[in-house]
This record gives sequence, C-alpha cells and structure tokens, in this order.
Amino acid sequence: MKKTVSIIVMAVLMMVSIVALSRTAQADEGKMVGTISKLEMSADKKTATVVLKDSKSGEDVTIIITDDLTLDKFNDKRIVEGDEIRCKFEKEGGKNSSKMFKKTAGC
Amino acid sequence: MIKKIAVLTLLASTAAVIGTFAAEHPGKEYILKNGYQGPKTCEVCHPGKAREFIGTVHWTHASKVDNVDGVKPNEVYGMRNRNYTMCNGNDIVNNLKEIPANDKGKTKFSGCNSCHPGDHASDVGSSGPAAEAAIDCLLCHSVKYDFSKRKPIKLKDGSVIIGQDRSVVAATNLGRPSNKTCMTCHEAAGGGVLIKRGFAMTASADVHAAKKMVCIDCHVVKNHKMPTGFDPNNWAHDGLRVSCAGQCHTEKPHKDAAIDNHTSKIACQTCHIPKTGGATAKDFTKWTKLDNGFYEPSTLKKEVNETTPAYAWYNLTVANRPEFIGPKGSRNDGKSKIYPFKVFQGKAFFNKKNGELLSMDFAQPSANGNTLAGVASATKILGIKDYEPVPGWQTIYFGSNHQVAPKKNTLSCTSCHAPNGVLNFKGLGYSDAEISKLTNPEIYFQRLLEKQEEW
Repeated sequence: MKKTVSIIVMAVLMMVSIVALSRTAQADEGKMVGTISKLEMSADKKTATVVLKDSKSGEDVTIIITDDLTLDKFNDKRIVEGDEIRCKFEKEGGKNSSKMFKKTAGC
Repeated sequence: MIKKIAVLTLLASTAAVIGTFAAEHPGKEYILKNGYQGPKTCEVCHPGKAREFIGTVHWTHASKVDNVDGVKPNEVYGMRNRNYTMCNGNDIVNNLKEIPANDKGKTKFSGCNSCHPGDHASDVGSSGPAAEAAIDCLLCHSVKYDFSKRKPIKLKDGSVIIGQDRSVVAATNLGRPSNKTCMTCHEAAGGGVLIKRGFAMTASADVHAAKKMVCIDCHVVKNHKMPTGFDPNNWAHDGLRVSCAGQCHTEKPHKDAAIDNHTSKIACQTCHIPKTGGATAKDFTKWTKLDNGFYEPSTLKKEVNETTPAYAWYNLTVANRPEFIGPKGSRNDGKSKIYPFKVFQGKAFFNKKNGELLSMDFAQPSANGNTLAGVASATKILGIKDYEPVPGWQTIYFGSNHQVAPKKNTLSCTSCHAPNGVLNFKGLGYSDAEISKLTNPEIYFQRLLEKQEEW
C-alpha cells in the first residue's frame, strides 16, 4: 500500500514539475538592436508601447515597457523616437515585455 | 538628546526650505515676465555663479593631480586629455563630430565631450564671457528639462553645436538635482549605459537610494565644486573629498566592537559593497560590427551587481604605468586600508618606440572598423610623429564606491575568514602562519553561533 501511495505521489509531483517547466519555457526571451519608430505612453503613464525597427531584419517589433526608470526617460525625452536601443524582452502571451531597454549611445 | 533635537530641527528646516524651493522658485515671476536668456537670467539673482562654475571639473574636465605617479605638478589631467583603455581617447582626439558614413550610408555624432554642459562652441575648459553665457544651467537645475533639445546640431559651416532647453517651462520649474540628473550623463560613460562603472543609483541596487537619498546628499556641493572620492582612475577633482565617515557615519559605526576593530585596516566599501558591474574587458584593436552598420569596441559586458571586486591595499596614491593603473599601498605603510576595486582590462595599441598607450580617434573605426586609421588620426591631432602601434593589454582598478548593499548582503565573518573567503591573504602580504590564524574558525565561530537563529 505504502509503495503504491509513493508511486502516485511521485507521479503527481512529476506532472506538476512538467507543467511548471513548460510554462517557463513558454516565456521565450528575445534581444535586438533597433531604432524607435513609434513611442506611445498610456494615459496613466505606467506603461509605454514602443515599436522598434530591427537593425538586422528591418522588421517592426512591438515592446511593452513598464519599468519606472525607462518610463521616466520617455517622460523627459531622454529617450525619443529615432533613438537606437539595445533591448532584451520576454515573449509571453503574444506580447513582448521589456527586460532591458538601453540607448546604444554613450560617450 | 539636545544633539538629536538640533539635528532633527536642522533636517526639518532643510526639508522646509527644499520644499519651498521645489514649490516656488523666487525668481519664477521674473522669468515669466522677462523670459529666460540662459546664465544671464540666473545671474540677476545669483551673480558670479557662471564664472564660478566654469572653474570646476564639470566644465574643465581636468585638474591638477598630486596623488598619481608620473604626472607633472603644474599640468592638469582628466577626461580632457587622459588616455586609458576603458576609453582609449579623450575630449581632444574624440571631440564631438559627425563621423564618416558607414557602408549603409549612415552617419552619427560621436564624442567624449558630448556631455559637457556647454554648447560645444564654448567647450571643455573654455573661459570668458562667451563660455559663461554658454553654460546649460537648467540641465542640472530644472526638473522639466526637455532632453530632446539637447542634441548635436551641424551648422552650415560644418561646425557642431549642442542644443539646450532654454524654455520658460524649464526655467520656471527648478528643483534640487536628483539621481536622474547626475545619471543622465554619468551612466552613459565608457561607450554606453552602465558600461564604465556599472552601478545604478536605484532603490534595488543601493541602500542610500532606497532611503530616497540622492547623489548630492553625499557629494555635498560647495559653490559648484563637487566632492569626489579617491578612485584610482578618476584623477580630476575640485579639491573637495567625500567620505563615509563625517557627516553621516563615524569611524566606529558598528554596535559590535569586534567589527569596529576592522575599520582601521578595512575600508567601509570592502564589506558594504560586495559586488560591482559594467564592462570587464574591451578590445580597441578589433571592433565588432553591429547590425546598424556601425562598429564599436569589442566589449565584455556585465550588468549591475554581476561581478565580484578585487581587493587590495590602498593608501590613496596611484600607480600609473602603461600596463597598469591602480592602487598603491601595503599592509605595513601605516596609511593603507584594504579596498574593493572593479577590475577592468583593455586591449589597445601601444607605441613600440616608447611603450606609451596610443589614443584612438573613433570616427574612422566607428564607420568602417579601421582601428589603425583611428590611431593615425589621433596621433596627427596630438602631433605624435614617431610611433609604431603594437597591440597590448592594460589593467585598470576602478574604485568601487557606489551600490552600498543592504545589511543582509554585506560581507560577514566567513566571507573573508573562511579558507575560501574573498580576500587573498597571501596576495595581501600575510605569511602562511598568519593566514592559518586568520582562517581559523576560532576567531568567529562563537560569535556566529550566538547570532545564528534556531531553526
């Protein structure tokens, strides 16, 4: 009886692990260098939607930004349309959420 | 008690003054009526401040230096004229300019002095009425500065100037400089965001920032002069120095005397700044082509708090050799403490004729990757005729003075005193017998046992 219970518990644990891992795998990561072709702040200024034109492929990639530091840079125009950006993002639920959003320029 | 009341009263009155200032700058009405004409307007109420500012390192990008090997006492040094392998150039050879078109036909502006708070027509170290009129006061003093206006503009005669936001909106919304104010320029040093020093002044990265403190709470500005520390690779200074001990902390700041006993030999930063970040190495001899058609120095990058510092004795004097810039000191000189450093290694061209590091003009390599053309241009600008470029490496120890960790992340007894601790006692000059004693659990076991929570 004890052995049967152990096997069932192990099987359940394995299934839970597989489901959890597959969920993690769904959050795919991307990175790119691109130029901002469109920048829109939400009304409450807590989110921004940015379209980056990929320097490599020329394709437009839409990125959602929610971190305060970057949003502040949009607010006072330290980052504006036309700036080149190095971006890391997570693809989840059909959206690309920014994980790193930095201007390539420096001195 | 009386001292506490006095401190609290001072803090409250300071907050009230700041609050008042943030709410309503007394000159607002004047500016609304007369408009804003740059420093001339500021000087109506703050006479002499423009001349005062152009004497500071923020304007001159250099100062006399007296703690570095090999420098001349009557000359000035700083990003205006120095050369080391994090930057491999300076304001002179990489003066802001439009670089040649790359193979996609694109050009861009680039220059070490692009952050200089003038208009580039009045540039690094300039003086006189034109320089005083060119100061971008609002860049630091406005809380509504439109940074999109601060960009290089090429004039018809080919010269490049930097635009400024001199709007009435910016001029009538003044406030105390914030971390953002400083980081706007300082985070982009070394070729990109958080490349050079690799620290972020954010609540998650620094306990001072988490307490809503700002850069100028520690770097307490006096007449536009900015106190700085003794980073072995940051030579220029305004003659004022910043230190943990003094206004905020004492020399014996811990509740535990055994920990306080460390402070005569261990700098605060050693335990309280356990991580660093930013670029760890660069190769200026071979640039990497980016997807946009431009090239940049090949760089190994790390994020904030991703790297571990190196530890060395430092008596606040600096070794300055072509292959090494870093701390001098020893455990026996009576002046040194052990400090943490961000170690960086850079490869660039050295002059085989005299062993000196050669500068590089980034215009050519940015456009086409031709690094030797960059060296040729820099030597021409500097008037160096006798040179033979050979690649070589240089190691630089940057001070690790920001990103103070929360208490739970600071170094503890075992961080150093366990056999696999972060301090290389041998390298720091301790004998085998001393190391055996220093890494014996006897010195910390009982203390940690008492602090250990039951579980």
